[in-house]
Amino acid sequence: MIKKIKVQDAVGTKLAHDVTEIRPGEFKGPAFRKDHIVCDGDICHLQRLGKDHLYVLDLEQDEIHENDAALILGQALAGDGVKCEGDTKEGKVRLFAERDGLLLVDTAALAAFNMVEEVMCATLHKHTLVRAGEMLAATRAIPLVMKRVPIDRAAAIARQNGGTLSVKPLRKAKVGVIITGNEVYYGRIEDRFGPILTEKVAILGSEVTGVEFAADDAEMIGKAIRNHLSKGCDLLLLSGGMSVDPDDVTRHGIRLAGATEVHYGSAVLPGAMFLVAYIGDLPLLGVPACALYHKTTILDLVLPRILAGEHVTRAELAFLGHGGLCRDCEECTYPHCPFGKGS
Amino acid sequence: METFQKLLASSAKAHGHLCPGQAVGVRMAMLGCRLIGLEDPTEHSQIKKLLVYVEMDRCAADAIAHVTGAKLGRRSLKFTDYGIMAATFFNVETGSAFRVLSTEEARDLVPFYAPGIGGKAGQQLEAYRRMPDSVLFRVQRVRVPVKDWDLPGPTRYKTVCSRCGQVVRDRREVLANGEILCKPCAHGAYFQDAREITWPEMNWAPAPGGATHEFHHREHLRAPVETKEKRGIAPSYAEIPPH
Repeated sequence: MIKKIKVQDAVGTKLAHDVTEIRPGEFKGPAFRKDHIVCDGDICHLQRLGKDHLYVLDLEQDEIHENDAALILGQALAGDGVKCEGDTKEGKVRLFAERDGLLLVDTAALAAFNMVEEVMCATLHKHTLVRAGEMLAATRAIPLVMKRVPIDRAAAIARQNGGTLSVKPLRKAKVGVIITGNEVYYGRIEDRFGPILTEKVAILGSEVTGVEFAADDAEMIGKAIRNHLSKGCDLLLLSGGMSVDPDDVTRHGIRLAGATEVHYGSAVLPGAMFLVAYIGDLPLLGVPACALYHKTTILDLVLPRILAGEHVTRAELAFLGHGGLCRDCEECTYPHCPFGKGS
Repeated sequence: METFQKLLASSAKAHGHLCPGQAVGVRMAMLGCRLIGLEDPTEHSQIKKLLVYVEMDRCAADAIAHVTGAKLGRRSLKFTDYGIMAATFFNVETGSAFRVLSTEEARDLVPFYAPGIGGKAGQQLEAYRRMPDSVLFRVQRVRVPVKDWDLPGPTRYKTVCSRCGQVVRDRREVLANGEILCKPCAHGAYFQDAREITWPEMNWAPAPGGATHEFHHREHLRAPVETKEKRGIAPSYAEIPPH
């Protein structure tokens, strides 16, 4: 039960919730915390914050305070690698990354959670690379007091599949790089792909353990793949030969090497001619030439997911279409832009 | 109980087509039975322990009846015409009852649970398979005061309408100003202008044999009948006089 009393009559009573103070451009936070006992000196301050009345709570058995509700929700939302803070602030609970890695959000569970009346959770985009300690999400119950059942139901929804948010660590892959193309193999031009790929791999904590060169010859490409595998590589990146010209035979070489799955084409620009293949569980990524020019491409969207252990198939490449168009800004601000975040 | 997939297939066959309502109905019945502790209500030992109240006459109602084995004629299936996508599952033995309501938000969540699946019905079907019960349903524990004369079993009470003379079973009569009436006489009915008629071939009855023959194995129990086949005339209802 909630009773409303005049602020002048509130001296000696406990505040039912945090009272937020906002001083534009200067401060936003709790001026008073829940359970603070109102004293004479507080009355003017509360009135300045627009509080002429306060609530006094007397909860029924089946009711729950917003702070307790937020903690239940936060704990339910937090999956593997995510920690829910132990205290509420202004009715909110925040969730943080416990480790470096890739943020995964069960967007179906999140949508279902937010469809339960009187609860909310806002998150970062899924597939964002995050650092340990980084804030990932915040949740709260919207009314000051509500029934327990919707909170328990929302928590059950959040817990499906082990929690709505999780942070998957990136594995440290031994990456074999194969630079294809007669122009490089026969020394007509200098390779510039190798250093770009090596840097992208290193930024994600993995290591390029070998670079091979191959002409536009499917047999030679297949042999280079097998060579990398025999040296213990557990991820291969192949550059060039992904387009539509007669000399573009990288796909054929991948098949000759024994690929068990090949998914060619992605709904991303730059990166439409990207390829994901597998030999057993071992992924091979075919990187089109656009990665030589554009700072951010499909590779930057898919490589972290591969390193986080995701099995990327036709569906994952297709669903990237919404938000998959790079704006080609003069100065690239990725990942602080919408590229790749719509799926 | 069979798997969801098997129940969905057999339910669709019984219903006449596969539709999202079948998926919701099958899952509603599976959850309802689990909640009241009946693992397989169609099994002989459990068949008399269940009452099901369906609150809509939509596809899901057939699926619920199919999975639970509840039947109108056995009095284990009750139709309460609320137009609500809900059903209550009542364990006659323990008295426990749960009302399972299909959530409206599940419809809005279909694209989230089955992205990339073409066709509205196909996407709904797959989404309703993937959604956990917590998303698909809300559940209320309820008390169902079942009257003796609503339970399965032989007719416990009969009376006669003092206006039309019709026998009324199972306490469905209405007492109005000291008069015992059937509901149509007391409140009006879904039909109007009822006038009894005669029709050609009104002495037709099925030929002997089959199940009825086995049931009435003693010849003398069978009433003499005149069949249309014997008379060589196809039954016709064209001569029924109009109102």
